[in-house]
Amino acid sequence: MIRMAILKLLQIYQKVFTLLSYGSCRYYPTCSEYAKWRIEKDNLFTAFIAVILRILRCNQLFPGGIEYPVIKKELKDVKYKKIDVHYWLIPKGRSKFILIKNFKGN
Amino acid sequence: MLEKMSTNQRVILATVLSLLIFVAYDYFFIPKQPPKQSETNTTQYVAKSAPQSNLQAPQSAPATSQSSKVNESGATKLGTTTLLHVKSKRFEMFIDDLGRIHQVILEEKRYKTESGEQIKLFDEAKLPKPLEIRFSDIALNEKAFKVPYSYQGPKALDIKEKTKITLTQDLGSEKVKKIVTIYPDGHYEATIELQKGHKYFISPGYRPNVRVDGYTLHGALIKEKDGTITIIEDGDAKGTEIFKGAKIAAAFDRYYTTLFYDFVKGMNVIVSKDAEDNPILFVEGSPKLTLGGYVGPKEYETLKAIHPELTDVIEYGFFTFIAKPMFLALLALYHWIGNWGWAIVALTIIIRIILFPLTLKGMLSMQKLKDLAPKIKEIQQKYKGDPQKLNAHMMQLYKKYKVNPMGGCLPMLIQIPIFFAIYRVLLNSIELKGAPWILWITDLSSKDPYYVLPVLMGITMFIHQKITPTTITDPMQKKIFTYLPIVFTFFFLTFPAGLTLYWFTNNILSIIQQLIVNKIFEARKAAQKEQHE
Repeated sequence: MIRMAILKLLQIYQKVFTLLSYGSCRYYPTCSEYAKWRIEKDNLFTAFIAVILRILRCNQLFPGGIEYPVIKKELKDVKYKKIDVHYWLIPKGRSKFILIKNFKGN
Repeated sequence: MLEKMSTNQRVILATVLSLLIFVAYDYFFIPKQPPKQSETNTTQYVAKSAPQSNLQAPQSAPATSQSSKVNESGATKLGTTTLLHVKSKRFEMFIDDLGRIHQVILEEKRYKTESGEQIKLFDEAKLPKPLEIRFSDIALNEKAFKVPYSYQGPKALDIKEKTKITLTQDLGSEKVKKIVTIYPDGHYEATIELQKGHKYFISPGYRPNVRVDGYTLHGALIKEKDGTITIIEDGDAKGTEIFKGAKIAAAFDRYYTTLFYDFVKGMNVIVSKDAEDNPILFVEGSPKLTLGGYVGPKEYETLKAIHPELTDVIEYGFFTFIAKPMFLALLALYHWIGNWGWAIVALTIIIRIILFPLTLKGMLSMQKLKDLAPKIKEIQQKYKGDPQKLNAHMMQLYKKYKVNPMGGCLPMLIQIPIFFAIYRVLLNSIELKGAPWILWITDLSSKDPYYVLPVLMGITMFIHQKITPTTITDPMQKKIFTYLPIVFTFFFLTFPAGLTLYWFTNNILSIIQQLIVNKIFEARKAAQKEQHE
């Protein structure tokens, strides 16, 4: 529920607010996009913290650039069948994954 | 449906929608002129019983408004005759024959209603009045509203320093003595002595009823022992809530307050509610109770002089944590410059200077970017139809050459709390009420009567857009972008003039900054050209 509401808000933000400051984010994915991915795939609390830290980093004192979210996840009950790919999980250390959205899949 | 509309139509739709929201907000939340109080006293004696609470002894009576009927049938109506009239340079206070502060009129020049009368703080019909005592024992309580207080001394006092007055009430089974020391700045110390020690409650009074609107908070505020502040807004009172050992109990509207405080021992505050679910404050009494109190405007410096913690009564809502420092900065600038409007301009400049290191880095980064122009073009060509990929590759390029032309989300998002903080400061600070800037701006806390500032704001915003190179390629977005100043102008029409002034100054500074950046670019270009030749 909360997740859906936040995602909706973020969507509105992206549509409306971006007009005021078109293309101001120093990162890829942009802060708002980053937030969307995190909220979809991470637990809410860590997502919030990560997003706040990301926004704080998004200023001219930091280099910016490509920075994907890294999430913690235990893979279990993996079923092997054909699925739609929404996100790619790229292993990074123990039970940590780099999260990359699959835009082509949608 | 939206997809079928042309870009133009969508922009118009968006503008109309945003205006509609504004009009609707105005309609529903702007204060309607409160209905003139009728002369009848029908509502006056409602609910004159003590608040119920589990702090009370079990014999506590069912506190219903029935007890009020007695008074209406009584031959003489108490609580309407002035027992004593206290005057200072700042206020005129009327104490009635029930030993309560019946009315306070602010005497200073700036406290005038629109019709030119001095402001009266309290609504005559609203109960309780400050210093009103209610006994838990119903019979005693009824009696207490029938027996007048007596007072020996001059009927009119003109005070220049603290003045002590003593009021007494003989109820037969109980004797009440109220000793009130009134100070010229509007605060007082009250000592209540009861001979027999019946259980009672005393109220700082129903909130002032001068400025009540939908923009700002009004209701009750309690600061507890541990410093937490609880606000119970009008209409949200739940019944009986108890705060033990509280430091401050204040009832307030936008600009004015009546409050009790005790920073040493603390007070047991009981919040009950009236028929409209507005909070009513009571403090539990004791046979010898001493309290501090204040009635008047929520002026920062006045409150601070009484006790620094009292400034917590000035509430700016959600953004208090940033609005309060903002106000203090403005106040300091005001003392230095002597005009609130110029203080806002100065503050805007200072905020800009603080953010300047960021801006400078951005400017330097932009110069480097010029050298990368051909490479950027190449990437743009290559990933024309795929914005996500384009974005990613651009970022890679920036990283490789250690440049990043973007300002970042933080500098942009940080504007939002600053903006709201200034908005709240303008709305909630009594100091800014009726504060002029120059020429036609006579009140920074209300809208510009001739809409000059909003229009200037729109024009400067437009100019800034024109001289800033943008990365927008989408024609639809480009269109909306050009309409933005117009939409903003409309938004700002009804905003407080001070806020528009802030945004206008901000725009001017942005323009100056951009012009400098552009100049540097041109100089560089010229220099490069010379080198080539």
